[in-house]
Amino acid sequence: MADATPAVEICGLVKDFKTSFRRQMLRAVAGVSIRIEPGEVYGLIGPNGSGKSTTMKALLGLVAPTAGTCAIFGQDSLRVDSRREVGFLPENPYFYKHLSGAETLRFYGRLCGMRGPVLADRVSELLALVDLESARDRRLGGYSKGMLQRIGLAQALVQDPRLLILDEPTAGVDPIGSRQIRDLIFKLRERGITVFLCSHLLEQVQEVCDHVGIIFQGKMVKEGRLEDLIAIEDQTEIVLRDASPELVAQITALVANSPEAALVRTGKPRTTLERLFLRETLRDDP
Amino acid sequence: MKRWRRPLIVFLAALLAGAVRMPFEAALTGELRAEGLLPGHLPIGTLDKIGQTGAVVALGGLRTLVATFFNLRAFTFFTECRWDDVADTYDVIVELAPQTIYYWEAGAAHQAYNASSYYLNDSDLPPLRREAAWRAAVQKGRAFLERGIRNNPGNPKLNAYLGYLLTDGKKSRAFRDADATYLAAAEAYKIAAESPEALPFFRRFQLYALARVASREAEALALARQLYQASSNRTPTLQCVYFALEVHANPSLIDPVSFALSIFGPPEKAYVTLSNYWLRGGERLPVHGVARALKSLETKLAIPADKSVFVRHPVQEGEDE
Amino acid sequence: MSPTPVSPARSNRGSHCGRISVIATHAFTQLVRMKVFYFLAVFAVIVIGSNFFDLPQHVGPEAAGTNVLNSIKSWSIGTMSLFSVVFAIVATALLLPKDVEDRTLYTILAKPVPRIDYLAGKLLGVLLLVFVSLALMDVLMTVVLQIRTSMILSGQMEMAHSRGWPAAEIASLRADILRQGPNASLQGAVWAVFLRASIMASLALLISTFSTSTLFTSITSFLIYFIGYFQADARDIFLESGTAGTGWVARTVSLFVSLVLPDFHLFNVIDAVIQGQAMPLIRLWELTGIGLFYAVFYVLASWFIFAEKEF
Repeated sequence: MADATPAVEICGLVKDFKTSFRRQMLRAVAGVSIRIEPGEVYGLIGPNGSGKSTTMKALLGLVAPTAGTCAIFGQDSLRVDSRREVGFLPENPYFYKHLSGAETLRFYGRLCGMRGPVLADRVSELLALVDLESARDRRLGGYSKGMLQRIGLAQALVQDPRLLILDEPTAGVDPIGSRQIRDLIFKLRERGITVFLCSHLLEQVQEVCDHVGIIFQGKMVKEGRLEDLIAIEDQTEIVLRDASPELVAQITALVANSPEAALVRTGKPRTTLERLFLRETLRDDP
Repeated sequence: MKRWRRPLIVFLAALLAGAVRMPFEAALTGELRAEGLLPGHLPIGTLDKIGQTGAVVALGGLRTLVATFFNLRAFTFFTECRWDDVADTYDVIVELAPQTIYYWEAGAAHQAYNASSYYLNDSDLPPLRREAAWRAAVQKGRAFLERGIRNNPGNPKLNAYLGYLLTDGKKSRAFRDADATYLAAAEAYKIAAESPEALPFFRRFQLYALARVASREAEALALARQLYQASSNRTPTLQCVYFALEVHANPSLIDPVSFALSIFGPPEKAYVTLSNYWLRGGERLPVHGVARALKSLETKLAIPADKSVFVRHPVQEGEDE
Repeated sequence: MSPTPVSPARSNRGSHCGRISVIATHAFTQLVRMKVFYFLAVFAVIVIGSNFFDLPQHVGPEAAGTNVLNSIKSWSIGTMSLFSVVFAIVATALLLPKDVEDRTLYTILAKPVPRIDYLAGKLLGVLLLVFVSLALMDVLMTVVLQIRTSMILSGQMEMAHSRGWPAAEIASLRADILRQGPNASLQGAVWAVFLRASIMASLALLISTFSTSTLFTSITSFLIYFIGYFQADARDIFLESGTAGTGWVARTVSLFVSLVLPDFHLFNVIDAVIQGQAMPLIRLWELTGIGLFYAVFYVLASWFIFAEKEF
């Protein structure tokens, strides 16, 4: 019962910006095409200045394409109605500092046409989802960076969109906060919400996304399913726990007997610094 | 040049919108001016005098506020007896707030009363110059008041004040042609009396002014008769003026004493009223038959000669008819 | 993956008025929290201080005291004028750049909010604040004026009675004093002050759509405000002096200026009302109509430019 309409369809997007020199135009995006099916988590990665943010903004109608089209669930991005289905979290957002968490969500909810008990319920639901209920009446001026990102995520979800666009969702957030955001994205994926995010924190993209596109100097240089892209095709990994040295020797011998396969390496796999950090810090939480 | 297209379109649209709204604005401006709600343009000279900040405030919308400041300044000049500065300042004030009657009254009063008195009594001028300066100040006050009336035609307060100034006995020698002056006073009081906010005494004062003009006694009598109809008008002065005018009109037919009694009532009252009137001889009010009536009343009431009113004010030549 | 049912959150489309009022109330609270209302304390001091600009009388007893009423009115309305124009310009000038800088604009435009709703909402928020401030100042002025008028009235009535003035004169004196006190036309003058501020706010909105700096927007708006006044006077002075050949260029320029810029000269009715003239209601309607014309035109022009703006 998948929707035939893709969640996002960008065809041949070209965007030129005028620089201070009259003649020269800066081509920020040079013919990018992206197709995201509903329910996918798509990551757009690339170095700074590669055109990620511009592509997202074109999708949201914040900039008008020089050439090409962008569509969200079939509706052209330049139309206001296309944004009914979209929630957007910009990079490093500052929300209105004088509002509290709940007031912020109420504000955005009312902008989308929600009001009354429907809105109130939704606000509570979202605050629970992003784990900010304890801070619901605190002014945003007193929120930490991680909390701001979470409230930003809640704001993006306020009208229950089918597509979520996240620009650098974990930039500047500590590992605990990052982990929370990633868990949220997983939860949203389970609900069937399409997520389109861009980041240059590659490890995090690797954990969350199932589709990836690499953009460089305004062009897509690689695109596809994550598993397909990063699998080192000719290598296989087996990780054992509590394996005796005899078992390891047996497996090594098996490989040695196989005609094509060759043993690349054995040894102790490394944990990541992030896991170590989380293990140490979360253990101290009451 | 695509980037300039939109602002250019806006500019052209603004021109068009301006052309559309011009006739409405012009019509509204005309209507507002006619209703006295919109002041005229400030002449350039005034802008100079106000100075830059003042000009900005005045043009920016609050001339009355600037006028308030200048009023304070005028008051300071007044306390320092700098009469030219007072006059100049009031010129500016009335340009800014021409419809505030108070400023016209104050400006005129400062010249006609305060400045004139100063020149006459307190200044260091030699005697001949004093009289000339006094006269100039009084005339300046009159001119200012007349200008105020031109700006606020029909205003009862200003017109009444002009009438008051022109009939003020102490100021009469400042104005050359006495008859013309009293006629102007009568006219001013008449205009004042015609206003819906007129006070009752305006008509009476119109009469008194008119009665002082030698050639207009018939007109004055008609007015006196009209006023005499209403008992609220029968003030002592009116009664005396009416008496004198009637006697003048019918010199042989009316016995002054009995006529006086018919107007004033008991002989004592008649005597007192007419005596007071007689003592106001310097005001040039008509006194036809008053002396005769007084003499008869003195005989009738057996008033001793040393207490006669004629001791204080003897009959002058031509006064006794 | 089961199809997501249409949640109640998504089914309501919202309306222009709803969105505009959300943005407007939000802009209002944002501005209020900038502690703008502290200015009202200053205003209160000015109004009450203007009570003391009382000169000793040297005209006649009948003029006694009404001049201070004039003083109270011109001080109060002068301050209201100044405040409302300054505030209208500065508040509008900072709202848009602030949103762009803080990137909160993206979050708003990423919702289904048409750009005209955004502009209209911000403008209305500013106008709401100006209106509330003017209303509070108006109340204060009227109260002070009423108190002072009563004091003068009782003093004058006492004087008139003690001197035995006839009834007609006393009634005339009373009517004269009351005419200088608070009345409906004075409220009309305050409304005219509000109209003028509204025009300036919408003009500032237009300028802020193509300028990125609050300072530039504010300064340009103030300049236009003053030119708008000068141009009516200067143009007529210029035309009256009537230099034929050499004036051609200047005359064309001033013609353009008078077409494009608002004619604030009409709002000088405020002066006449302070001096005691009555303003008929129909004139107030006409002024309101003209103010509305300007405001709507500038908002539409702002939208025209803002619609293609990229962020």
